[in-house]
Amino acid sequence: MTKQLSAKRSFLWCFGLLVCLAGSLLPAYAAEPQGETHLITLKAANLPSGQLAYQMLAHKIRSKGGKIRDVTDRYKQAPTVPGPTIVLTEGDVAEVTLEHGIKGSKLPVSIHVHGVHYKIEDDGTIKAMNKKVDSAAFPGKPYTYRWEAAPGTAGTWPYHDHTFGNPMLGSEDKGLYGAVIVNPKSGKVPALIDGEIVDVKLSDVKREFVLWMHETTFWGAEINHLLDGRQIPLWSNPTVGARLGELIRFHVIGMGTAFHTFHLHGHRWLEHGTSSVVDAVNIGPIYRQSFVVKAGEGVGPGAWHYHCHVLQHMQSGMMGIFRVVE
Amino acid sequence: MKRKAIKKSILLGLMLFVIGGAQAKYVPGQSAKKPAAEDVILSEPGLMPSAILEITDEPGHWFKDPVDGDSLVVVKPGEAVLLKMTDTRTEHTITSLLWPSNASGFPVDQEKPSSVSVTKSFDKPGLYVFTCKVHPYVFGAVVVDDPKTEGLDIGSEIQLITGAKVPATSDIATKLLRTYFVATTPDLWRDYSKPTWNVELPDIPLNIGGKVVSLTALNISVPNKLFNPATPGIGEVWVDTQFEIIDGKTKPGSATQVDATTWAIKKKVKGVDINMNHPHNMWTDSQYRYIYQTEWFDKRLTTFDRATGKILNSVEVGESPSHVLTRPTDDSLYVAINAGESVVKLSAGKTPSVISAINTGPHTSPHGHYITENGKLMVTPNALASSVSVVDLNSEKVTEIPTGGVIPIAVWGNPAGTRAYVANLLGTPPAMLSSMSVIDLKKKTKITDINLAEDYDPITGKVTGEAYGLLPIQTPVSPDGKYVVTANTLSATITIVDTATNKVIKSLPCEPGCHGAHFGLKEGGGYYAYVASKFANELIIVDMDKLEIAGRVLLADRKDPTITANNGMGGQGVLPLPLSEHSRLQRTSRLADSGKLTPEVEGWLKKATKEQVGGI
Repeated sequence: MTKQLSAKRSFLWCFGLLVCLAGSLLPAYAAEPQGETHLITLKAANLPSGQLAYQMLAHKIRSKGGKIRDVTDRYKQAPTVPGPTIVLTEGDVAEVTLEHGIKGSKLPVSIHVHGVHYKIEDDGTIKAMNKKVDSAAFPGKPYTYRWEAAPGTAGTWPYHDHTFGNPMLGSEDKGLYGAVIVNPKSGKVPALIDGEIVDVKLSDVKREFVLWMHETTFWGAEINHLLDGRQIPLWSNPTVGARLGELIRFHVIGMGTAFHTFHLHGHRWLEHGTSSVVDAVNIGPIYRQSFVVKAGEGVGPGAWHYHCHVLQHMQSGMMGIFRVVE
Repeated sequence: MKRKAIKKSILLGLMLFVIGGAQAKYVPGQSAKKPAAEDVILSEPGLMPSAILEITDEPGHWFKDPVDGDSLVVVKPGEAVLLKMTDTRTEHTITSLLWPSNASGFPVDQEKPSSVSVTKSFDKPGLYVFTCKVHPYVFGAVVVDDPKTEGLDIGSEIQLITGAKVPATSDIATKLLRTYFVATTPDLWRDYSKPTWNVELPDIPLNIGGKVVSLTALNISVPNKLFNPATPGIGEVWVDTQFEIIDGKTKPGSATQVDATTWAIKKKVKGVDINMNHPHNMWTDSQYRYIYQTEWFDKRLTTFDRATGKILNSVEVGESPSHVLTRPTDDSLYVAINAGESVVKLSAGKTPSVISAINTGPHTSPHGHYITENGKLMVTPNALASSVSVVDLNSEKVTEIPTGGVIPIAVWGNPAGTRAYVANLLGTPPAMLSSMSVIDLKKKTKITDINLAEDYDPITGKVTGEAYGLLPIQTPVSPDGKYVVTANTLSATITIVDTATNKVIKSLPCEPGCHGAHFGLKEGGGYYAYVASKFANELIIVDMDKLEIAGRVLLADRKDPTITANNGMGGQGVLPLPLSEHSRLQRTSRLADSGKLTPEVEGWLKKATKEQVGGI
């Protein structure tokens, strides 16, 4: 096992070096990262239910000075829906290697990412579509993608499969999806706090909740900054919890074909990129909204309901609780 | 035989895999329980599905487990199942058909057809069967098995969607269980090109109310015997063989044309060029030039040339169009929008186009409608509203009549246009497990309910008389107005009601999934009722003079290499030509020798007796 791992590691290193070497010969989009480099290994795997899911196998962060931090233990060591959330900062680079772990299938599986910069080879589509290469992993043949969180890419973005079972649609519908959060280099985002629009420091945000709206279900995950960014899988229609007065960042993302209206009781926030104060936002497929609230601001603790406001979706149980405790 | 054995071991293996897989599953939120994190993690994970059932367009596997392709998943108490709609071109409901009595959080019942999914946790061990109220043979099952008990837990008492509670050992529960396995396993469908029909289930121990029995207790073996009627029919019979798998298209189904004099298959219209999807019911124009074909698991009404089978037109009309009829006075088309709340009106002819929609009322989901012979009234059975709507076709005024029936699915009327007979798929609770409502079309009220299963004991299974019809579907009235012939899908019987007494006077053996019925002309006078079944590939011919089965003919074409599976299976809509309703037949007869009819049709009309044409 150890031997295998070290072999894998050195393979990764070689690959990393190759990319870096190639990088020095290529134009600006593959330039030396201004920030950190994330060396990530993901696996696409089966869940017992028949769903497919991404699993984080390894996440190491190389600083500009070449120092390596291993943050793999932030993640659940199992495939999850949604997949692991990859958190970057503007200026960072991610080298994401995908392994094919879907039992009983030889079909290609991929990661197509939104928002960040990447070359056509890293599009996560098959050759017939991108006219260049099968940008996907096959059994025993991992594929490495290089993403640049270039300036201007700050935001919350989806990543998902684009090849498995269907070259046009992929298998995001079966569970192969996750989020990339690119934090702004400034480390601040605007928010409505105590009735004022202010810039809040992301370092002051205690918890982030990623909520995917798929068909009639929320699929969730938490990033807990009190536990050094630990990611907690929350599965379907979860209770998300916070302490009164904490700064909480929500990332709500749509998936599939349905249009939703996300509503959180008792809280208001700034609609993404505007100064408009809202307590409900429309979420279409692959559309997303991120916002920061102060938990229980002006309303106190409670089991605050969050739900899709489309009646049929509510009736099918598309709801959960934002639990604010003292 | 070998295939069966393989299937058996696959099934068993899959079940073991499902159970094994569930044991090995990953427990969400495990890290949340570590002491260090306990105080700072305030979230609680929601349900993580241990299994999935996906609604698809695949015959038999309408609810499909993506892991093994079967329609059954096994989970442990406390686990959850995700029920969703994946590979389907229309909308459905996810509805509990039966569940263990007093199971918490049950039933699941989506009140309107849509595409929405549901994740459901299961606490009480036992059998849970799900269906779609629009397409009520779309079955999927969850067995919640307590690993501590011996055998797969079926439960001790089963609750039905109608509110009835029955012991799991009862005959009705056994019938439902067998039907579930047959409906969801195409290998178990009754193939009349083989000498016997064997339902061979794997030897899996079931725990029914504490008693362990093998699933093989549901096995049956009966001979298959085909025979032609002694007297020929007139014309031809079209049968929607809705489940045939055909090369070159991804969606199933064809329309099979049978010669009513030789009983041979003339052709199958497959609609490969348009990927025809689940052809369900048909009608024709007064010259018999076109066949209008609904695509039930889709959105389209398709028109093809009766003589050549060439597809002429295909138009989107709404979600799950189920039945189509012409108005006898002008040949305009009326299509029931089964996953909607309307009947869509289209222009007559070769390329029908939508003119308007008649709203039949909220949550109506009309299925198998009827138009009176004078063309004045239309009656819709409103599957999701426990009602029928009577529509004045001139003013398009709609009167909804509550009937108390559960899933009223098909209706037909008497020649005088005064009465309509509505089959309630799941009966009229609490008194009737299986029923037909009689409607007064003048007063627009319900007259009575006929108990189709009055002579059947649901506990013991004992049948003490002719009234034995469970889960009635198509229910045409004979052109002379004397009888209502009903195809009963669960009991696999054809019941015949005498309209003078509103009593079931005869019950005849049908097939698993008995479904479609309509009348055609018998040579020399009288009528044949033609009956088709979903999970068999033969057409039953009932002699309406003797009230006996006159013949059973094959709907499979073994010589056609493009039919790759389910050959002749999926019998639903039945359209005998010439149309046997007197006023409709008279309208066509008036065109005789005008040059508007083909020589073939002219020949059919010449054979019809004076009585058959209504004394003209």
